[in-house]
Amino acid sequence: MKSKKASAFLGKFLFYCGNTIIGIIFVSPLVWMISASFKPEAKIFANMNSITTFFPVDASLDNYFEVFRRINMANVFKNTLVYIALILVFDLILNSICGYALAKFDFKGRKLMLSFIVALMVLPMEAILLPLYIEMSQLGWVNTLTALVVPFIAKCFSIYMFYNFFHDIPNDLIEAAAIDGSSPIGTFFKIVMPISKTVYATVFILDFVAHWNDFMWPFLVMTGEDKRTIQLAVQSFFSTSPVHYSAIMAALVVSALPMIVMFIFMQKYYVEGIASSGIKG
Amino acid sequence: MATSGNMSMRKRGERIAAYVFTCPAIALLIAFLMVPMVYTVYYSVFQYQVMRPDDIVFIGLENYKKLFADPDFWKALKNTFYFTVLVVPFQLVLALALAMLVSKKFKGVAVFRTMYFSPQLTSMVVIAVLWTVLYNSNPNTGLINSMLVGLGLEPINFLTNTKTAMNAIIFMSAWQGAGYQMMIFLAGLQGIPRDQYEAASVDGANSLQQFVSITLPNLKGTIKYVIMITMIQAMKLFTQPYVMTQGGPQNATKTMVYYIYTQGFQKGNFGYACSVAAVFFVIVVAMSLILQKLTAED
Amino acid sequence: MKKKIISMLLASSMILTLAACGGGSGSGTSDSSSGDQDAASGDAAAITLWQPTDKESVENWWVEKLDEWNSEHPDIQVTREAIDRSDSYAYENKVATAVTSNDLPDILFVDGPQVSYYAANGITIPITQYFEDTSDFTESTINQCTYDGDLYAISATESSVAFYYNKDMLRENGVDVDDLDSRTLDNPITWSEMRDIAEKCTTDSYVGTHIVMDHGEGLPYALEPMYISEGKDYISDDGSKADSYVNSKESVKTTAFLADLIANGYANVDPITDEFLNKACATEIGGSWEIATLEQSADFDWGVTYYPVSDDTKKAVSPCGDWSAAITKDCQNPDAAAEFLQWLMATDNVASYAAAIAKPAARASAYDDEAMAEYKEGARALIVEQLQNTAAPRPRTPSYSTFSTDYAEAMTNIFAEAASNGTVDESYIQEQMDGVASGFEEDYETYYAN
Repeated sequence: MKSKKASAFLGKFLFYCGNTIIGIIFVSPLVWMISASFKPEAKIFANMNSITTFFPVDASLDNYFEVFRRINMANVFKNTLVYIALILVFDLILNSICGYALAKFDFKGRKLMLSFIVALMVLPMEAILLPLYIEMSQLGWVNTLTALVVPFIAKCFSIYMFYNFFHDIPNDLIEAAAIDGSSPIGTFFKIVMPISKTVYATVFILDFVAHWNDFMWPFLVMTGEDKRTIQLAVQSFFSTSPVHYSAIMAALVVSALPMIVMFIFMQKYYVEGIASSGIKG
Repeated sequence: MATSGNMSMRKRGERIAAYVFTCPAIALLIAFLMVPMVYTVYYSVFQYQVMRPDDIVFIGLENYKKLFADPDFWKALKNTFYFTVLVVPFQLVLALALAMLVSKKFKGVAVFRTMYFSPQLTSMVVIAVLWTVLYNSNPNTGLINSMLVGLGLEPINFLTNTKTAMNAIIFMSAWQGAGYQMMIFLAGLQGIPRDQYEAASVDGANSLQQFVSITLPNLKGTIKYVIMITMIQAMKLFTQPYVMTQGGPQNATKTMVYYIYTQGFQKGNFGYACSVAAVFFVIVVAMSLILQKLTAED
Repeated sequence: MKKKIISMLLASSMILTLAACGGGSGSGTSDSSSGDQDAASGDAAAITLWQPTDKESVENWWVEKLDEWNSEHPDIQVTREAIDRSDSYAYENKVATAVTSNDLPDILFVDGPQVSYYAANGITIPITQYFEDTSDFTESTINQCTYDGDLYAISATESSVAFYYNKDMLRENGVDVDDLDSRTLDNPITWSEMRDIAEKCTTDSYVGTHIVMDHGEGLPYALEPMYISEGKDYISDDGSKADSYVNSKESVKTTAFLADLIANGYANVDPITDEFLNKACATEIGGSWEIATLEQSADFDWGVTYYPVSDDTKKAVSPCGDWSAAITKDCQNPDAAAEFLQWLMATDNVASYAAAIAKPAARASAYDDEAMAEYKEGARALIVEQLQNTAAPRPRTPSYSTFSTDYAEAMTNIFAEAASNGTVDESYIQEQMDGVASGFEEDYETYYAN
């Protein structure tokens, strides 16, 4: 009895140890980044041959002061949030109704559209940068919010996630609504949307993170300090030569914070959301 | 609208609704994904120096002729496939293992999940900068080599040896991406009915047998989905070689997207880059259609 | 609800038609110079300027100076846009995209070796007529900014590279530090002396030297003087030929010398950032900007001497070049832009700008200014001495981008091969350099040879 208890305890202990060690390996870059953000420039790449590189030495807030002196954070956050919010509002509505129609309606061209969307999912942004820019300039959108928002509303991947999720919603539910006299459009907004919070939360997080990390596109289409988005602000620290990693690390921590906070709060929805859109039937 | 209709009227309403629902998204995709793609194909038959847009010369299929004779193009294609073929199973196994570790509820499980997921929340540029230093060839300046030497092993030139450079990037990428796939598996694991396990353990099946006979079959759909999204990500590999190796040594880490980017922008051969992009489009679109066929079976 | 959806549909189909109508190229809007909207007030010229974002002291300098200029010149209002590039390629991408839509600013800051590239492609216009007397500027900067006989850009600041050494480490390994300290420009250290020092100072805890500044433009920039000193530059003087230059016997020998340092483990093939500062190497081929960092953070005794010379020729050469201001083809009022540039490049502004950015000034007279006092002696005076006597600009050729990318790639390959095998294979070096030469010729023949 006693030894059984002891071995159970040992098992538990080893389980936690294993998890902790693996966890540390995974979290180390984040730790290194945070620790480096408090170090003076000369110490960041010092001791890279030992674990001590992960601890803050000569810690100070100087790097953060520099970041906040050089960057108008309030304005940067506002710019970024405005454009991401605009994208997300349209993204969540347009992509979800598209995914819903593909999943639940029977119409000519459905199969074709689905193939089209899956096929386009693999297109790398880097390969169409310049043509897309030329299109923007011909539309007269360069240096406007429109260029940041409109091209990125429709996303194959989001449509695909919504499609997968809605595919699993029982047809009875929809038919019941139809018999009650609800139009297909009404059914979607009144019945389907309210029970699909998780998939909306997942797409929200995924697209938020993706746009939060956007650099190249805002860099190309936007000019002017007052129009800076968060990644442009971070990259502005890479501009100087020689590059000063101390300020960069502090800027990166500041830029990652909102995402970390959001992830912690939305983790529950996220897991469920992925679950429901990941597996079919 | 309030009157309930018969079957055919409902079908008609559904069809109208379908077009209303799909049109905005499809229209936007055509405008901002298809149109640039068409442009890309269009420019691929021109000689186009990126700084001289007013002076482009039609040269027919010259770029394509050059491309098929270009060893760098083939190398980049090969590297892209090599990366994809290795990173997908590696990341899949890693992600599944992590998910198994934190699938059950225990104290602190949320903390561990967040830890495994955290590389997703750190910008890829930072991760690449950090790993470049971790992989540093000199044991005096690189953590991993300092550990190897500590264990009595020879140091490895991870990023400067043609044999190890791509593998080093594969390892790092799998580590970075596993957290996301872990979340998907986690969700899949939670969907497996408990009683299947209970029945199996009554029959005396050990945990390995349970994993093979219950967990894996139940995760079939999830695994397919994970393979698909990991492949899509893998084919687009760009940031890691761009930051860590600049495609070298000896083109060992040059990928398609990296090649398109450096040809089009760094060297200014925009017309040529477009032809590479066009061929790449054909390959990836074909691949994803095949993939779609395979995953749509059941 | 229905109304909303229909309006959304309408909006997106409108976008679609708009996009579809935009076929063809070069039909951009003409009134696009991005600063024009600021010029609401009458017929004042509005000049916009692009420059990479810089450190705080530089940003503050611009705010102060532009206030001064704009209040004194109501007819020429200047706006500066700080471009948040992630690396120099990103900045070029932005220029490339702006070119397609005629969205270039009036004044564009360009890195030294890119001046020819932009000039040859007609992105920037000659400014010779606005800067008739350039004798006060260092010869090298004027050379770097000249293409096809015309001045295309003008620079306030310069850069250089020299040989830094950690005196503590050198003494530990029995190297005569006093000898190094006492070198003059007539008697700089030679390659073999550099190799000796590197060999002696390679220990278990640090390597002897550092020759890889980065894996991009840093390579051709920092290493070019080695090639010139040995007798052959990368490219012919007229910028049209690389064959029998970068792949010449002399160039292969120079490259072999460098690769040998790596093969023997005297230098790291992938050095970390701040390797010298972090005491992981005893000496380094390092940029002039290191002086400020070392003064601020080094906890050891260090010195700096002239760029090493070839044993065969003893010819002293050093790198140079920095970001320069150019006027673009989209500028509506070049006279106004030039007037501003003339003011910007006046001695007192050059001096205070150079002080703010902590780089050596490109004008001789600027060094008389109080702001430049620290360049009178010590490490900084050595840098100025090099700039005024031995500086050689990078190749002035429109195909520089292609050359630079290919050369950096070839050197990375050569160094990686040397590090992996522990020996230098000259036939491999020849093969790689032949590749660089043919890549250059192809680009030059395709776009610039008429």
